[in-house]
Amino acid sequence: MDRISSTRPRPLSPNIQIYRPQLTSVLSIANRITGVALSVCAIGLVGWLVAAARGPRAYSWFQGVIGAWPVQILLLIATFAFFLHLCGGIRHLVWDSVRGFELRQIYSSGWAVVAASVLLTLATWFLSLTIGRVV
Amino acid sequence: MVKTDALIIESSDQVPRRTLFKRFPIPRNFGVSPGSSVERGRNWPAPANATRIKAFDIYRYDPDQKKNPRLDTFEVDLDDCGPMVLDALIWIKSRVDPTLTFRRSCREGVCGSCAMNIDGGNWLACTRFIEETQTPARIYPLANMRIIKDLVPDLTHVFAQYEMVEPWLQSKTAAPERERLQAPEDRAALDGYYECILCFCCTSGCPSHWWNGDRFLGPAALLQAWRWLTDSRDEAAGDRLDKLEDPFRLYRCHTILNCTRTCPKGLNPGKAIAEIKKLVAKRHG
Repeated sequence: MDRISSTRPRPLSPNIQIYRPQLTSVLSIANRITGVALSVCAIGLVGWLVAAARGPRAYSWFQGVIGAWPVQILLLIATFAFFLHLCGGIRHLVWDSVRGFELRQIYSSGWAVVAASVLLTLATWFLSLTIGRVV
Repeated sequence: MVKTDALIIESSDQVPRRTLFKRFPIPRNFGVSPGSSVERGRNWPAPANATRIKAFDIYRYDPDQKKNPRLDTFEVDLDDCGPMVLDALIWIKSRVDPTLTFRRSCREGVCGSCAMNIDGGNWLACTRFIEETQTPARIYPLANMRIIKDLVPDLTHVFAQYEMVEPWLQSKTAAPERERLQAPEDRAALDGYYECILCFCCTSGCPSHWWNGDRFLGPAALLQAWRWLTDSRDEAAGDRLDKLEDPFRLYRCHTILNCTRTCPKGLNPGKAIAEIKKLVAKRHG
């Protein structure tokens, strides 16, 4: 025993390198990633508020930056990240009350989170584009 | 019997056929220490008279050779072999390479010895049909374990974690003259928890346990913890919760639920852990 362990440690069998991605783990890591991304986005939100507080010149400059199409795409992704994190958070809240743990419920709530996030993102952008045009 | 292609998985024995990724899109040896990276092994062709051939990619590690683990490809003659993945392994051991090493005992899903990673998910080799596997079938040992040889993981650590939840009846009142009685509904509270066979498919499939397995107890041990917490005859709930209430031991569970997805007995470790968390919250009023 000692002879083997002193010459060469036992190898660790692969984990994430081979384990099949499934809705359970993918949504979990997505919740993590969106959480981190939204924290970064919060800096942008603060920047926007600061610009608004500093006056019309700074604000219109910031609006110009936001209006550029690459930033618009980032904002679209951020909106989706926001809703995915929000819906995922609600799912976790339900789980904390020990509800929805049957495998069928785990999978249907998971897909519901994905579908709801897509729909809410589309609805948000539809509203902001149409209302933005009217005002 | 074989339910596939479902978007909604309803029981853990369902095998996914169509997934976007067969594995996470990361480099093959991402975060793997040099001695653990898996190298390409050799091919073991089927016997010349074989009629129906299927390939199996199998993880090999021999502690007596000072070499890294490798992935060998075996050709199995399905017409000469039983229907389960375990039958294929036994066929290989008796017909092709007698050094192939794996644990097996009951061959009917009650002992938990032959737990391994089959096509990227943990399951018992004896209850997975060969026809449910991909071609080539990918056979690895249980994920994230120290490997003794081939498909035999060192379970010392996970059994130590099991021992840590003190999986036995503890009572403070005087021992009764006869057996401790239980109302049928109290006994029913154990259903879905007492059936665990300690195959450690769940713990080995839990990403939280991959990253924090030294301190996080993992789903198998925590399911057992709940099995005793919810037992009407047990009187040590307070002490048990004291030991569990810890940022790592219990709360590294982030409700990923790979455990419930992979349990070969269809149990629900994820739910058991949520029950423990709820009980801890209740205790704080």
